[in-house]
Amino acid sequence: MAIRVQLDRILLERRMSLTELSDRVGVTIANLSILKTGKARAVRFTTLDALCRELNCQPGDLMTYEPGPGEAHEED
Amino acid sequence: MRALGPGSVSSFLKIILDVIYVGLWVWVSLLAIFTVAVLLLSFNPELITSKLHIGSSVDELISKGPLFAGALGAWALLSGGWMVIVERLRRVFSTLTAGDPFHPDNVRRLRVVGLVLAALEIGHYIFAALAKWLAPDTKIVDGSFSLSAWFPVLVVFVLAEVFREGARLRREAELTI
Repeated sequence: MAIRVQLDRILLERRMSLTELSDRVGVTIANLSILKTGKARAVRFTTLDALCRELNCQPGDLMTYEPGPGEAHEED
Repeated sequence: MRALGPGSVSSFLKIILDVIYVGLWVWVSLLAIFTVAVLLLSFNPELITSKLHIGSSVDELISKGPLFAGALGAWALLSGGWMVIVERLRRVFSTLTAGDPFHPDNVRRLRVVGLVLAALEIGHYIFAALAKWLAPDTKIVDGSFSLSAWFPVLVVFVLAEVFREGARLRREAELTI
């Protein structure tokens, strides 16, 4: 999948740990790790809303689209 | 009506499956013992004629000993197939009671059930053909093609595909944050 999650970078910029974010948004550390490592298949709007609220950012700051070779017009 | 827990349909079905499973174990064990006994008696008829004096029917019984043993063995194999099916269904059921019916292993279990059902039906035809060849005067089994016997095979394979999709959706749900 060509969607890259920038959670690591944003957490570093905010000087916030994954545990603290987990407490604030009510998502388990295991699930945040899945999101952070790009293994997640989908993100709920409620989760995205909580992440943007607590990290004070836009959805576009959290995720970017970086197509690899041959991925530009492919559906995964 | 409750879906899970005491007094539910699933608990009732679980009891039925457990009873059938134990019953099949006893049945297969008895069949195996009888098969061995008939084979031994057919090779050593004095064992039965020295103890019993039933009449000429005993001689006929002894002469057809290997045939009876074969029939009993086939029956034991058939019952063994049913045991495999019931055992797999019990495992599927255990995932249901654990609240995870779309476990990926259930797809394989249902496919095994479908394959064993098909194998049992094919075995039925083979056994019928052998019986007709070895004992043409007796009608032990009817080896005619039956659509109603193959329909459950189709149903189980369709259910296996439904479970495969269910397992995929479960995986998707697991990776939805």
